[in-house]
Amino acid sequence: MSGAIEIIATFAAEEQCVGGIEALRAARAENFRVFSPIPSEHIEKAIGRGRSPVRAFVLTGGILGVLTGLAITIGTSWEWNLVAGGKPIISWPPFIIICFELMILFGGIAAVASFLLNAQVPALESAPGYSARFCGDRFGVAVRCDETEAQKVESILGVAGAEEVRREQAQPSATLPNGHDG
Amino acid sequence: MTANPSPARPAAPRLSRAARGVAPLFGNTHRAVLAAAVAAGIAAFAVALARGEAARAWQAYLVNLLFFLGIAQGGVVVAAAFYLTQARWAGTAAFRLAEAFSGFLPLGFVLFWGLYFGRTLIFPWVLHPVAQKAAWLNTPFLFARDGAGLLAMTLLSAWLVRVSRSSQARAWAAASSDIEMPPPAIRRLATVLALAFAAVYSLIAFDLVMSLAPAWHSTLFGAYFFAAAFLSAVAAMALTAVILRGRLGPANAFAAPKVLHDLGKLVFAFSVFWIYLLFAQYIVIWYGDIPVETFFIVQRVYYAPWAPLSYAAVILIWVAPFLVLLGARPKRTPVILGAVAAGVLAGIWLERYVLVVPSLSQHAVPFGWIELLITLGFLGGFVLCAIPGLNLAASAARAELAAETH
Amino acid sequence: MAAAAPEIATPTFSDVDRSVLRVMQTPGLLYWAWIGFCFTLVAIGAALWTRQIYEGMGVTGLRQPVMWAVYITNFVFWVGIAHSGTLISAILFLFRTRWRTAVYRAAETMTLFAVMTAGLFPLIHLGRTWFFYWLLPYPNERYLQPNFRSPLVWDAFAVSTYFTISALFLFMGLIPDLASAREQARGWRRVFYSILALGWQGTDSQWRHYSMAYLLMAGLATPLVISVHSVVSWDFAMAQIPGWHSTIFAPYFVAGAIFSGVAMVITLLVPIRKLLGLEGLLTPWHFDNLAKVVLLTSLIVSYSYATESFMVWYSGDPIEQTTFHMRYFGPWGWMFWVMVACNCVIPLLLFSPRIRTNLSVLWIISIFVNIGMWTERFVIIAGSQSTNFDPSQWGFYRPSITEIMITVGSFAWFLGLFSLFARFLPIISMTELKEGITWLKKALHKDYARAA
Repeated sequence: MSGAIEIIATFAAEEQCVGGIEALRAARAENFRVFSPIPSEHIEKAIGRGRSPVRAFVLTGGILGVLTGLAITIGTSWEWNLVAGGKPIISWPPFIIICFELMILFGGIAAVASFLLNAQVPALESAPGYSARFCGDRFGVAVRCDETEAQKVESILGVAGAEEVRREQAQPSATLPNGHDG
Repeated sequence: MTANPSPARPAAPRLSRAARGVAPLFGNTHRAVLAAAVAAGIAAFAVALARGEAARAWQAYLVNLLFFLGIAQGGVVVAAAFYLTQARWAGTAAFRLAEAFSGFLPLGFVLFWGLYFGRTLIFPWVLHPVAQKAAWLNTPFLFARDGAGLLAMTLLSAWLVRVSRSSQARAWAAASSDIEMPPPAIRRLATVLALAFAAVYSLIAFDLVMSLAPAWHSTLFGAYFFAAAFLSAVAAMALTAVILRGRLGPANAFAAPKVLHDLGKLVFAFSVFWIYLLFAQYIVIWYGDIPVETFFIVQRVYYAPWAPLSYAAVILIWVAPFLVLLGARPKRTPVILGAVAAGVLAGIWLERYVLVVPSLSQHAVPFGWIELLITLGFLGGFVLCAIPGLNLAASAARAELAAETH
Repeated sequence: MAAAAPEIATPTFSDVDRSVLRVMQTPGLLYWAWIGFCFTLVAIGAALWTRQIYEGMGVTGLRQPVMWAVYITNFVFWVGIAHSGTLISAILFLFRTRWRTAVYRAAETMTLFAVMTAGLFPLIHLGRTWFFYWLLPYPNERYLQPNFRSPLVWDAFAVSTYFTISALFLFMGLIPDLASAREQARGWRRVFYSILALGWQGTDSQWRHYSMAYLLMAGLATPLVISVHSVVSWDFAMAQIPGWHSTIFAPYFVAGAIFSGVAMVITLLVPIRKLLGLEGLLTPWHFDNLAKVVLLTSLIVSYSYATESFMVWYSGDPIEQTTFHMRYFGPWGWMFWVMVACNCVIPLLLFSPRIRTNLSVLWIISIFVNIGMWTERFVIIAGSQSTNFDPSQWGFYRPSITEIMITVGSFAWFLGLFSLFARFLPIISMTELKEGITWLKKALHKDYARAA
C-alpha cells in the first residue's frame, strides 16, 4: 500500500503495553503487531485472537500415536504368533504401554511441528518494526496505517505510556501487513 | 516472621448467617432427614444381626468405614498439602473446604473399635489363624496398632484444623502474592500430619483390607489405598464446591470459574494417578503369574460376579473423568464437574467394596437393603458431623469474595 | 572464568540478560583443560568399550547368576537423573511453581545429556552392539518383529520417546533465549545463534502458538516422566525373582529418580553458580526449594524400603526372606547400609532450613545422595540376582576394570557435555526469569541467616 506508515512504539513495562493495545483496539486501529521479550497472558488476552490451533494438531497426533501403537503391536503379534512367556498373543497390558509412549511421541512431535507451521518459523524475513531490544527488555507495538490516521495513533500510544514513538515508511513485504497471520 | 512486603488482607469478617440475610445451609428439615438416615442404618444393622445376616452387616460396616474415613482424613491431608505447597489459589475458602469433612474423624475412630465386635466375621485369621503371620495378624496387636494410629491421626487432624482456622493462618492464606511459607506452627504440623497419614493409612490398608485375604500381599497396596482416599477427598471437595456454589447465591468464591477449574484439575490429576497405581500393581501381578498373587486379581477382575463391578469402578473413577475433564470448559461447568465428582465418589465406594467383600463372600455379591441402609446411615452420620465444617466453608467462600471486592 | 557479579537487589530485564549472556563469552584456559580432562576419560572408556566389542563380554565381571550389573545400574541411574530435569521443567511448569524459573534450564539440559548417557548403556551391554536396531519395529526379511510382550522393548520405546521429547522440549524453551543471545552476539556466535533461533522475533503471533505448544508439551512430558521410569523399573518387576518382583517398584523408582536427579541438579548448580558468577540469579531460596524436593523424595524412598522389608517378612516366603537376609547381612551387606545411610538418614538433615540454605553443606549432602542412589540401584539389580532360588546357583559379582572405566567415562561424558552447553548456550532461562522477575526480587530480599 503506497503511503502506508509504520508507527513503532516502545514500552518499558508490560502493563503499559497492554494499555496501549486496548486503547488501539478501542480506537478500531486493529492493524498492528506486538513484540514482547516474554510470553504474556495479559497481552494475549488484550489482543483477543482466541486459542491457537496447535491444540487440534496435538490431539490428532496423540490419537494417531495410540492407533499406530495398536496397529504395530497387534499387527506384528498376530502375524508372528508365537506364545512368549505364557502370555496371550494379543495381551493388552504390554500393548497399552507401547500405545501410551507412541501417543506422547506423536503428540510432542505434532506440537513442535504445528508450532513451526503456525508461527511461520523459521522466519526468513524480519517482521516490519522489529528492533533488537524487543528480544531483550522492551515491548513494542508496530501499527500500520495511513498518513491520515498516523497522528491519532501516535497520540494513543503516547498516552498509553510509550517510551519512544517513531514513524517509518512501510516496506511492502511478502509477509502480510498485520502480525495476525495464522 | 519476617516483614511482609504486601499488606495482608483483613481477616474474614465473622458476621452470622442471619445477620447477612442468608438462609442457613442446614435447616431443621435437613438435620431431621440426616438423623432419620442414621437411625435407618442402625436399625438395618440390628435387624441384619438378628436375622443371621451378620456377615453382610459387618462387611457393609467395614466398607463404609473405610470409605468415609478416607474422605474425612484425606480432606485434612489436602489442606496440609495446600499449606506445604503454598497453594493459595482460592484463599481461605479452599482450606475450609478441605477441612470441612474433618468432623467425622472422631466418630470414625469410635466406629473403628466397633469392628472388634464383628472380628470373627471380618478377619478370617481370627477363627483360622495363619501360623506364619500370627505374630502380626492377631486381634490384640492389630487393634492396638491401628487404634493407636487412628488416634494419632484424629488428634493431629483436630490440631491442624484448629491452627488452620487461627487468624495467623488465615492471614497467610489470604496473601497470595507473598513468597513466604506458612507460619512455622502450621507448616511443621502439616509435615508431620502428611507423613503420619502415609504411614497410618498404609497400615490400615494392610490390616483391614489386605489381611482379609491373608495369603495375598502387594507392596504397593498401602500407597494405592491412601492415594484413593486422597482422590475421594478431592472429589468430595469438588462436589461440595459445586453444591455450595448453587446454594450461596451469586457472590461466593466457589462461583469463580478459576476455582472450579483448579478443583477439576485436581480431580483429573489424581484420578490419573490412581489408575497408574492400579495398573502398576496389575501388570506386575499379571506378568509374574504367581498363584499366591494372582488369585486376588483373578477373582475380582476375570470372573463374574465381581468383574462387572470392577470395570464399573474403573469407568467411574478414571475413564469418565479422563474423557470428560480433559478440556478446560467442562472443568469450569459446575454441573459437569459435580456429576463427574459424584461419579468418582461412587466409583471409589464401589472399589472399596470390590476390595473387601470378595475376600469374605466368595461367590455371591451381597447387595440389598442391608447394604443400602447401612450406607445411608453412614452417609447421614458423615454429613451431620461435617455440618459445622461446611458452614465454615460456606462463610469463608462468601467472605473471600467480599474481601476481594474491597 | 567470569568474575563474581555484584548481587543486584532489584534486577531488571536487561540485568537478567547481561548476567546470563556474560557467561557465554570466550572461556579461559582452565575451562578447556577441564573439557580436555573429561574427554580424555571418555576416550579411555571408549577404548575399553572397543576392546569389549572385539574380545567379547568376558572382559566384564558378568558371570552367572549375575548377568546384569554395573552397566544396567548405570543405565537406570542415568535415566533416573534425567527425570528430575523434566519434573522441574515440565511438571512444575504446570503447577506454576515460582522457584522453578532460574533452575529449570540447567535441569532440562542435565536431562538431555543424562538420557544420552543412559542410552549408551543398553548398547554397551548388548555385546554385539551392531544389532541394536533389532529392538525397533521395521519391515525386514527375517519375518521377525520385536516381542512387544517384553519389558526390554517397552524400554526401547520409552527411552527413545523420552530422548526425543526432552530434546524437543529443551529446544523449544531455548528459542526465545537464543534470539536474545543473537542480538548481543558478534561474529561466528551471531551466525550460530541466528540459525538456532530460527528467526524468532517475539511477535504476538509467534508467542501465541509457542505458548500453546509449550504448555501442551509440558502436559505431555508429565505423564512421560512417570511412565519412563516406571517402564525401566518394570524391567525388573516383571521377573519373578525375589528382590525384583514387587508391585511398589514403579512409583518407588520414580521417586528415587527424582531424588537422585534433583540431588544431581544441586551438585551441578552450586559450583556453576560460583564459577559462572550467577549469585544474583540463583538465590538461596531456589536451593531451599530444591532441597525440599530432595527431602520429600527421600522420605518416599525410605517408605518404600520399609514397606518392602515388612512385606518380605509378612509374606512368610522363605526364599524371599533369605534373599533379603543376604541383602542386609551378606557379603555385599555393607553396601545396603551405605545406601540406607546416604538415602534415608543423611537427607533428614534437610528438615533444617539453615542447612537447606547453607550451600556448601547442601552440596555435600547431594553428593552423598548420588552415591546412595547409585549404590541402591546396584544393590537391587546385582544383589537380587546373586542369591535367589537355588543356593547352588548363588554367586557374587565383582566389576572388572572395563566396567569401572566405562562408568568413569560415562560420568566424564555427562559432565563434559554439560560443561560445553553451559558455556555456549544460555544455562539459565532469561525469558522465564524475566517473566517471573517479581518473584526473583522477592527471593533476593528474603532473609536467610547464612547463605554460602
